[in-house]
Amino acid sequence: MTTASITCTDLTIRFPVYGADAKSLKKALARAVSVGGVLGRHAGVTDVTALSHVNLQLKAGDRLGLIGHNGSGKTTLLRALSGAYEPDEGTIEVQGRIAALLDLSLGIDPSATGYENIRLRGRIAGLSSREIEERMDEIADFTGLGPFLAMPVKTYSAGMQGRLAFAAATAVEADVLLMDEWIAVGDQDFQKLAHKRLLKLVERAGILVLATHEVPLLKLYCNKVMRMEGGVASEVVDIRKLDQLLAD
Amino acid sequence: MDTATHMLRTGRRGALFQLQMAFRDLTNSFQRLGLAWSLATHDVGSRYRGSILGPFWITLSMGLMVLGIGVLYASLFNLPLNEFLPYVALGIVFFGVMTGTINEGCDTFVQAAGMLSQTSLPMFTFVWRTIFRNLINLLHHLVIVVGMLVYFDAWRDANPLQAAAGVLLMLLNAGWASLLAGIASARYRDIPPIVVSVMQFAIFMTPVFWLPDRFGKHQVFLDWNPFYHLLQAVRAPLLGQAVAPQTYVVLVLMAIFGWLVTFTIFARTRRRIVHYL
Repeated sequence: MTTASITCTDLTIRFPVYGADAKSLKKALARAVSVGGVLGRHAGVTDVTALSHVNLQLKAGDRLGLIGHNGSGKTTLLRALSGAYEPDEGTIEVQGRIAALLDLSLGIDPSATGYENIRLRGRIAGLSSREIEERMDEIADFTGLGPFLAMPVKTYSAGMQGRLAFAAATAVEADVLLMDEWIAVGDQDFQKLAHKRLLKLVERAGILVLATHEVPLLKLYCNKVMRMEGGVASEVVDIRKLDQLLAD
Repeated sequence: MDTATHMLRTGRRGALFQLQMAFRDLTNSFQRLGLAWSLATHDVGSRYRGSILGPFWITLSMGLMVLGIGVLYASLFNLPLNEFLPYVALGIVFFGVMTGTINEGCDTFVQAAGMLSQTSLPMFTFVWRTIFRNLINLLHHLVIVVGMLVYFDAWRDANPLQAAAGVLLMLLNAGWASLLAGIASARYRDIPPIVVSVMQFAIFMTPVFWLPDRFGKHQVFLDWNPFYHLLQAVRAPLLGQAVAPQTYVVLVLMAIFGWLVTFTIFARTRRRIVHYL
């Protein structure tokens, strides 16, 4: 566990944004056969530089808070760290088991029951069927949904769905924990439970990277902070210098 | 847990490197076959959720269609039922599996958008999911196949081993077509309707509902119909008929060539597929 580490060197990620236009075969064919296609060749495909030369070095025990405006590249960085996006330039190296809690609804099938969804989520996270059954009681208990777990998730209220998703998503031990935006889940009682669970998870995980706008949350979970702006990352600074970073 | 504990991603390019990464995706997917199977069984289960018969509907609806078409066409063409019904049953079942694998290939990556954009799961996991889902369907249909062969006493002449080889060749070919459809559909949303139209046309161009000898002088349409060879490699052995050697040549060449082209395209587009979605 102490071996967990994240190293990003000169990480650049560019998104081709395929407009509704670019996805049409007709347009692509028209472009291919048109004369002097140079001008039109990239029509409809816009390159957006989501991350630009980001350098980041984290070791076990680091709990990094990512701050920055919407669209500043926080989520892209998290997705890149999760292994979903590949760099256009530079490298990403992550040691340790990664758990990404970016989208709580990952792998949630509304027509399946709560139990089935927990199993599905666990399988995606890399647990074997046996490991899931071993944890099932604990996860079911944590959701507090009791008999509702045997009912289809589509009958749940939004809060209940949130409870289920959170419980299932956090059931996996990880060395590197990636979390996007604090998604307020459930009622106050559940918030408290969730908070305890996250603290435990953070302690257990070697590294946490958390993207959020909420300063109290940063101070609660993080010991380091980095600011993103237009895909460019600031230096990683100690959490005590947060106010200074925000003031810049 | 079988999740990777070391991940290295670089912006390195070059055909060789991309090919290497594509192979790594494939080999990593072998370690996650269990996940692909879980997803596939979940897919099949959820399609028939809440129905009394459950996945048995797969068998029942196919059985009804085979009976209906078999009896109708046998009387239309004046053919003996005991020969024509097994023929039609095998044709519809195996052509259906092939069509299903290719048509559903269009959704392979689109359907997995959520998972692909926040995990490092191999892309091939979802290709396996589509193939497994259709294999599960095939297992349900096999009840009909076996039932027909036994009822009409045709099983004595059947060569199940040769047919199994045929199924393998069919899946090998449907596999690359499915992956190709998946990549193309993620990029161009016009592809799925095109694929569906082609497959719909193919089932009427191929001797599924009718006998190949009806083609007469238009035999050339059969020789150049890849779906005919694909079907023939499975159906003929089960009906106790010989498979023309050229059928195997066509299928093997098509598998090799198809996978070469498709895998090259996969290697080139792999890192972009997540952005297409």
